[in-house]
Amino acid sequence: MLSPYIPMLTTIKSIVSENGVNDIKTYELVFKNKEDEEKFDYIPGQFAEISLIGKGECPIGIASSPTEKGSIKFTIKKMGTVTSAIHNCEVGDIIGVRGPLGNGWPIEELKGKNIIVIGGGFAFSTLRSLVYYMLHEDNRANFKDITVIYGNRNCSEILYQDDLMKWERMEDIDVALTIDCAEEGWDGRVGFVAPIVEAVSPSPENAVAIVCGPPIMIKTTEDVLDKLNFQPEQILESLEMRMKCGIGKCGRCNIGEKFVCIDGPVFSQAELRKMHGDR
Amino acid sequence: MKEKILKKDQVKQLHEDLSRYYSFYAPTKVKGNIVFKKITNPEDIELEYLNSKIPPKEILFPRMETLFSYKIDEKNIEIEPRTDLEEKILIFGVRPCDAYSFSLLETFFNFGQFKDDLFMKKKENTVVIGLACNTPRATCFCTSLDYNGHPHRKDDVDIFLTDLGENYLVNPISETGKAIIDKLAWLSEANNDDLQKAEELSKKAESLISTKLDLQHTAEILDPSFNHPLWKEVSENCLGCGTCTFLCPTCTCFDVVEDVDHYNNRGKRVRIWDTCQFCLYTLETSGHNPRNTKIERCRNRVLHKFNYYPKNYDLIGCVGCGRCIHLCPVNNDLREIIKKINAIKNENKKEEVVVA
Ligand SMILES: Cc1cc2nc3c(=O)[nH]c(=O)nc-3n(C[C@H](O)[C@H](O)[C@H](O)COP(=O)(O)OP(=O)(O)OC[C@H]3O[C@@H](n4cnc5c(N)ncnc54)[C@H](O)[C@@H]3O)c2cc1C
Ligand code: SF4
Ligand code: FES
Repeated sequence: MLSPYIPMLTTIKSIVSENGVNDIKTYELVFKNKEDEEKFDYIPGQFAEISLIGKGECPIGIASSPTEKGSIKFTIKKMGTVTSAIHNCEVGDIIGVRGPLGNGWPIEELKGKNIIVIGGGFAFSTLRSLVYYMLHEDNRANFKDITVIYGNRNCSEILYQDDLMKWERMEDIDVALTIDCAEEGWDGRVGFVAPIVEAVSPSPENAVAIVCGPPIMIKTTEDVLDKLNFQPEQILESLEMRMKCGIGKCGRCNIGEKFVCIDGPVFSQAELRKMHGDR
Repeated sequence: MKEKILKKDQVKQLHEDLSRYYSFYAPTKVKGNIVFKKITNPEDIELEYLNSKIPPKEILFPRMETLFSYKIDEKNIEIEPRTDLEEKILIFGVRPCDAYSFSLLETFFNFGQFKDDLFMKKKENTVVIGLACNTPRATCFCTSLDYNGHPHRKDDVDIFLTDLGENYLVNPISETGKAIIDKLAWLSEANNDDLQKAEELSKKAESLISTKLDLQHTAEILDPSFNHPLWKEVSENCLGCGTCTFLCPTCTCFDVVEDVDHYNNRGKRVRIWDTCQFCLYTLETSGHNPRNTKIERCRNRVLHKFNYYPKNYDLIGCVGCGRCIHLCPVNNDLREIIKKINAIKNENKKEEVVVA
């Protein structure tokens, strides 16, 4: 039996700073062993326990798409012990990875649907993974219209600017970027995510809305989706709870009887309404 | 296979014979408390005890346990998995409730896609010799539980002992247990009087347990009671010390930390018992804490055992050993909490009557 507590080792191939204040960086990792890369068979929306051996471990959503072969990506915000230590790492340093963990976005259920991806702030990583995945030539035909609505406080905080620019130029995806307040040189939308969703006014017909962001943005966006007649089953979210093991054993990530690490992190609004628990 | 007799002065012999093959753990007295330890001198074995303060789960799920070790060499890292999991373990003198906790822990650690290899390997290599409870504590309530808990329950052990006074009656239970008894050819045969005496002791022990809780509907009553005022009431005097969970034979929560030896470029990733009764347990780096007050934390302990366990694993997450009652510094009594929960049902019923 292979221990689920032992990380696979990877090497940092590249580091990209994602914002103006430089506290969010995307790390591209390459597995040291080819077999490990095959074992790390993931879908968008899953996460991994990322560790710096000697410093500790923390859960991070997978930002790359399984269609991007050869490496995996994580976008990490500098917060506490482990994430700060990772921010001090350089290309070539070794990072441990345990995963893939969690359920991920329900790809099979999304097939044949119009997909509305709504993100706020830096919680865009697993959404990037999903959009990237859906746009891949092998997968695009499986999904109907794809709409991305992504808001940030200011334009220096927008993640994955290269990808977004590419998507904006593409025919088969609609992208609406917004920032909270007008800025010089910004020709996108201005305003919070929720009113922009209302303005874009996606139809609930055969659609699924996927929402990630800070709690207040999720709340206001859900109110708008409700107004637009989206049913709770049509709204998906990815939750965060403090985690250690990521495999349903250490106990701390429960909301009621569900463990966010194994039963989630993705839940529908309908499931969340049924869950009694502290979050 | 027939029952045998082990004379009390033969426990030494038993230890000598079995410790050749097994790491022999048994209850022993340390600073006035009964704990399970690896025994080298059989004189240290203490079998005249009510129950150990720290449950024997500690042997299979230690307070602090290495997940793996590593060597850091400049930019290179070498991971060393555990190599000591093949140890053959024998746990002697385990009470029936604690023996059942091993089965319960196995269900939990083996559940789902990810198995806890550390626990499972050790459990696989473990032989359990149980010891009947002739004098249950006032806080014991194993007979109320869903696993047919009983002070003389034999199901979760390999060999079961009953203290008959001068001797122990030895019951081989599992195949492993039978094989071990076969090897201990010096054990004498038990006679009908011995069996009858054990039967009487079993009935007497059962009658000594005065608490009878109705746990049949507790899980379902808890379902709609998440916001009931009861939780405030039962958590009011809790100190949040964590005793009830640290000393619970079914609690499994742990923290993971790094233990680094910088001078030698080595380290270990270790897990340490943790508890949902501590506020740091769920505190996120952002400052958000889903279980910020003891109301949520006390509620989580009770719900985990009496609602989440039944939902996830189809069993109650409690063995009825009463340690949490006996050892709580402010006398919080789980039995009273259960009674209050059961009373909610009557409240609901009354309401229904009013509505009708
Ligand atoms: C499913 C999931 C996906 C996530 N994805 C990302 C991501 O893509 N990018 C990103 O920057 N952050 C992400 N996070 C949040 C990230 O895990 C925390 O910021 C991180 O754990 C902080 O660790 P630290 O060691 O720096 O902080 P410390 O305060 O030193 O934390 C100590 C430990 O507590 C635990 N912990 C603390 N806060 C959290 C939290 N919010 N969630 C889970 N565990 C926590 C971790 O085990 C951590 O190592 C995600 C969290 C979850 C649960
Ligand atoms: S032992 Fe008693 S005081 Fe301590 S956390 Fe448990 S209920 Fe609270
Ligand atoms: S993170 Fe350990 S149980 Fe979910």
